[in-house]
Amino acid sequence: MGTFIQLVVDGLSTGSVYAAIALAIVLVHQATGLINFAQGGMAVLAAYFAWWLTNQGLPLIVAILLSIVFSFALGAVVERWLMRRFERGDPDTAVVATIGLLTLITGIAGWLWTYNNQQFPSLFPLDTVSFLGVSVSIRSIGTTAVIVVAMILLQALFVGTKLGLALRAVAINPQSAAFSGLPVGRLLMVGWGLAAVLGAVAGALVAPQLTLTPGMLDNALVYALAAVILGGLTSPVGVVVAAWIIGVLENLAAVYVPFIGYDLKVAVPFILLFVVLIVRPQGLFGRKTVVRV
Amino acid sequence: MNTHFRSRTARGVAVVSALALTLTACGREGDGGGEGGASASPGITDESVTLGITTPLSGATAGPGTCTVAGVKAYFGAKNAEGGVEFGDGKTRTVDIRALDDTYDPQQAKANYDQLKNEVFAMTAGLGTPTNRAWRDAAIADEVPQVLVMTGDPLFSDTDESPWQLGFVPIYQNEGEAFGELLASSTEEHKVAILSQNDDYGEGYVEGFKSAIEGADNIEVVEELTYEATDTSVDAQLTELANSGADVFFNAMSVTPLMISALQKAQQLNWKPSWFLPSNTSSPGAILEPGGAAAYPGIYSVSFAKAPASPAFAQDEDVQAYLAALKEHGDYQDPPAFPHCQWSWMVGATLEQAFAEMTEPTRENFMEALRGIEGFQAPLMLEGTSVTTSEDGQPAVSTLNVQKFNGKGYDTVESFG
Repeated sequence: MGTFIQLVVDGLSTGSVYAAIALAIVLVHQATGLINFAQGGMAVLAAYFAWWLTNQGLPLIVAILLSIVFSFALGAVVERWLMRRFERGDPDTAVVATIGLLTLITGIAGWLWTYNNQQFPSLFPLDTVSFLGVSVSIRSIGTTAVIVVAMILLQALFVGTKLGLALRAVAINPQSAAFSGLPVGRLLMVGWGLAAVLGAVAGALVAPQLTLTPGMLDNALVYALAAVILGGLTSPVGVVVAAWIIGVLENLAAVYVPFIGYDLKVAVPFILLFVVLIVRPQGLFGRKTVVRV
Repeated sequence: MNTHFRSRTARGVAVVSALALTLTACGREGDGGGEGGASASPGITDESVTLGITTPLSGATAGPGTCTVAGVKAYFGAKNAEGGVEFGDGKTRTVDIRALDDTYDPQQAKANYDQLKNEVFAMTAGLGTPTNRAWRDAAIADEVPQVLVMTGDPLFSDTDESPWQLGFVPIYQNEGEAFGELLASSTEEHKVAILSQNDDYGEGYVEGFKSAIEGADNIEVVEELTYEATDTSVDAQLTELANSGADVFFNAMSVTPLMISALQKAQQLNWKPSWFLPSNTSSPGAILEPGGAAAYPGIYSVSFAKAPASPAFAQDEDVQAYLAALKEHGDYQDPPAFPHCQWSWMVGATLEQAFAEMTEPTRENFMEALRGIEGFQAPLMLEGTSVTTSEDGQPAVSTLNVQKFNGKGYDTVESFG
């Protein structure tokens, strides 16, 4: 029983990492209707920036806060000067552009800071607490708590604020939104900036565990995308729950389903994804897209 | 549109023809370089010899990869500054290094080889099993030496299968075996948990380890799991292994961040066995310190190179000369975090030994000279280890010392515990 609970707790902690990136992807999608493959890359860049600041002698928390400000600006600038040109065109073109951006950012990070693994200091201590025969690190608890707070804030933003409503309006129908007086361009920049902020938080949480490298989040990105689709593109709560399900299922399948084992466990989330999409194309928590004719 | 297209095609044809012409010219130059005796192979003149390297200089393996270039570049940079290296034919030549980035991608490694094969005398020092394998057949067909490469794959040390190859570092089996022998000689009973990478790397380690503990009554393997090199977490495996109650953990893992998180995770689970770590994932600065390895009763690894960071070698003459050259000639400013820098430096010294025995400027003659080295203690090698190239089935270095982490660096140990 102890093992089972430990595996579940470990899965939740891994899932929280996927959830952080997934939330940022959902935010950009809600604001622009695009899936941004460079989200993980931008998060890594923010983490490098924070790491560089700590090396200049700044305290970790200050460095992270500055990197959050930096990320907001970066996200807004990328939207205004790069993505704006693709947003009104073919969505496929825009997606390819974000993949190109990912490669570009990875290259720049490697060029500036080398591909060596860098040690990123952790906000939370490595200590563990025990209950029910399970040990959980403070770091996992801290990471999960931050993700849950981010999720609640994001849900509240979309559902409960004028800004959230405006962002959604711009995403669903930019032309009508513009006609009704919304500053579409500025809203798009804000959407991208906020998503980059979320990425920066994720990067700072994950970097101590994965060690900082330019490709640090490449693998996590794949799982985050699975969580986004599984949870439903429109629901912050949905993607976080989906990311947790993925993390936990992966662990349990490896240990308790003999023929899957550790070699096939990478496929588990995607098999689940196919099954869910066949039964519920809008994802577990997503809203159906309704088109009025 | 149409004319534009045509002009582009024409330009393409022009570029290709120009390229072909250049290539022919290069080929000629190589053929005609020799005077008297056998005609010289490509990449060598009376004044200089050029060596090629394909290795990861970007991507996840760039840290060790950059080192494989830096060491040998530093070694020959220092020699060139003194005038060059003396060859067995009486000539003194400077040694130039041409290194290309393969990002640990086999296809790119092959392309790099194709680009280098006509302008370099020999290929050397590159890191990576899949990447070195990608152009092994081509090197045999072209009769280009692919020597002292950094792979633990035994294939490269089999003279029949690989006549133009020789591995430098100990094969995976050597490392597993060295640790198994130490454990089997322990006077106590031990339960062993094994985690290994699901490929030739992990399998080689486990194979060597098991062959050494075969018949040892005091050793029992209680749990054995694998992971994929692309995994981002091995927490589940560690939870399962911790349950086995093993007091020794043989972790054949090649991925730096995973090794760090494994060291942290086992502590969090309050599982504190003695660890065995492969030589390429046992760096005190880059792995043990961030992993909090001091919490364990023993961290063992194997080595044949002096660790420059260890206080025991801080005053060592070899180490000081090496660090100075690395800065000045190797484009490597920091003290190296990976042993590959030291290995690559030894590759330089070993090549110099072979050059000293070469009587003709040909690749055949070089291979002959290279395979004749016995018991050469290269600079930076630990007491009790040496380079021997004449033994079929073994890489240039097959002797290893088992070492135990002392909180800063490693000390050689004779017994377990």
